[in-house]
Amino acid sequence: MRKILAKELKSFFKDKRAFLLAFLLPIILITVFSLAFGGGGNNDTVRQLPLLVADEDKSAVTIKTINDIDSAKMIEVIPCSFDSAVDLIRTGKRTSVLVFRKGFSDSVKAMKKLPWEFQYDAARAEETGMLQSLLTRTLYGSVGKIMSRQAILKNISAQFPFMDSATRRTVFAQVTKNFDAGNSANNDTQNNMKLNTVSVVSAKPGNVGLVHAVAGTAVMMLLFSLTGMGGALLDEKEQGTLKRLLYSPVQSSDILLGKMAATVIVASFQLVVMFLFSATVFHLQIATKIVPLAIMILATAIACSGFGVFLATVARSRQQLQGLSTLIILSMSVIGGSMIPTFVMPPWMQSISVFSINYWSIQGFYDILWRDLPIGGILLERVGVLLAIGLVLTILSFRFFRKNVLALD
Amino acid sequence: MIEVKDIYKTYGKTQAVKGIRFSIKDGECYGLLGPNGAGKSTTINMLSTLFPPDSGEIVIDGLDIKKSPGDVKKILGVVPQEIALYANFTAWENMLFWGGLHSIPKSELHKKAQDLLVFVGLADRKDETIKSYSGGMKRRINLACALLHSPKILLLDEPTVGVDPQSRNMIFELIEQLNREGMTIIYTTHYMEEAERLCDRIGIIDSGLIVAQGTLEELKKQSEVKDVIVVECGKTPDESLLSATLGLPVKAIDHTVYIETSDSKKDLTRCVIGCSNAGYEIHHIDIQKANLENVFLKMTGKQLRD
Repeated sequence: MRKILAKELKSFFKDKRAFLLAFLLPIILITVFSLAFGGGGNNDTVRQLPLLVADEDKSAVTIKTINDIDSAKMIEVIPCSFDSAVDLIRTGKRTSVLVFRKGFSDSVKAMKKLPWEFQYDAARAEETGMLQSLLTRTLYGSVGKIMSRQAILKNISAQFPFMDSATRRTVFAQVTKNFDAGNSANNDTQNNMKLNTVSVVSAKPGNVGLVHAVAGTAVMMLLFSLTGMGGALLDEKEQGTLKRLLYSPVQSSDILLGKMAATVIVASFQLVVMFLFSATVFHLQIATKIVPLAIMILATAIACSGFGVFLATVARSRQQLQGLSTLIILSMSVIGGSMIPTFVMPPWMQSISVFSINYWSIQGFYDILWRDLPIGGILLERVGVLLAIGLVLTILSFRFFRKNVLALD
Repeated sequence: MIEVKDIYKTYGKTQAVKGIRFSIKDGECYGLLGPNGAGKSTTINMLSTLFPPDSGEIVIDGLDIKKSPGDVKKILGVVPQEIALYANFTAWENMLFWGGLHSIPKSELHKKAQDLLVFVGLADRKDETIKSYSGGMKRRINLACALLHSPKILLLDEPTVGVDPQSRNMIFELIEQLNREGMTIIYTTHYMEEAERLCDRIGIIDSGLIVAQGTLEELKKQSEVKDVIVVECGKTPDESLLSATLGLPVKAIDHTVYIETSDSKKDLTRCVIGCSNAGYEIHHIDIQKANLENVFLKMTGKQLRD
């Protein structure tokens, strides 16, 4: 038994690929996942959620309130106009805006219902939910305090009309001191402060998660299956059929182009089947969005096919391809939002999510299936990026195909 | 038909081919015989336009392979060393695919594929996938796929590797038939008996060089390898006495005498009578014919399967 044990260990450590897969790959993936979920345990820096703020009132009350929000640890205030805020949300660049309508200050003083709104992208429900909860807490401590003081002052004046102003100030100071310690607003104040929430994109309850599940999973699985399909190039090399193709009048570029065209067709078909399945079984609404969906499917298929064939031309063997593809696809899926929502990642990681095919594709499907965006503008930008990725990877594939795959002897 | 003039090929630091020169006549079967790594496949790959030689010239049917690789491919059929077929496709599907690459009209291709399946004896199994075939059957389809565009020249790169003797024989018969029908053939192998059986002329290749070429008889003459008559006697013979009696070089080891002759058939009776007259009782007689293995050993100083 000892001899078998020694032999097994020896052969394991001699097999560099097995060694790398067993140790290096999990270490890299643990690192990627940990960074995505917020980094190391002793990280003291607090990640801030960005919040657009549109101040149409521009009063001392709104300025103070905005300053109070900005000083909250987890919220980063980004001032902007209401119209541009809505544009940014519609195009998926920002998640939400807090709008102070004109007359906000007067309403606070009059203790009327406050004209303010929290408008958000329901496609990013988790992120906006967290932001809304943080915001409510901050606003109750800020605007709530102002409104409660107004109410106290009003009550004192009403109940003790003959009280001289010095005494009234003393009583007011004492009452508000005790009230601040309690740090709560009464029911009327709470009702008046109620923040009106509005979804910027048309609301489709229950569809957000479905869109994310379908798009995220589809793109990730597509990358895996197309890498496998691209890997057939390596099989052809090993089995000699590639050499036989080269003996024929077929050009070497035709071999690669044919392979890519086949992967694009299979990828498109795969995505169509996935969306049809989701529409049939889970009632994903696609009937009215066939054209933009078809464009996005084709762009995604081209980018993913380029990726699959590119990896196959870079790798020297099936085993190398398997290790490489697992590492890259899982990493791209993490940072691109296939596996976890991008908002839970630290800002630096969110900023690199644009380097993944998953990000552009998932956002594109969100644009169509959730944000209801027409063809053009941001949607074309996403399609353009995916096509550019496909083109660049195809060009690189040709280079590596000649260098690695066609080096037959 | 084929002119190969001083071709060289280097991969990295390895010089695989170092100035090979040979020519092949129309309808000839030419063998490239050499051990693994001698440069046979590299030569075949250059002939088949897979890559050009670093220097030198290859002219096939009047076409320079560097200038007209596309035209050369039309007249060449290549049978690779590997079973270069799609295992999940049927034989029929494979044939249509490989033939289709040569832009053969559909009806013509179907007829040709059917004829070739009959030719290689697999017409009744054409709808079975290649993965269900035996090694010999795969080799036959491998050959058939190279013939779909009716090439003038057939390059076979060790087409019988891993094949049982019966299938090997069948492949030989197919190649012989093709050659009889006028096809020019280049056949690489490291099996001397294959080269002896199939090839009109043989080039002995070793370490990237052709060390000798010609017909088997010419090679024997060049290498001065002779037949050996082996006579087992009752006692140890006297070498000088026998040599003087027979007029042939003689070597005696223990009770056996080895007599070198350039014509074993003619000298056999003389050797038997000579040994008998010298008083040696003959127990056993054998003739070791000069063969390519001896020639190769003499020319290169190594065994063919080294």
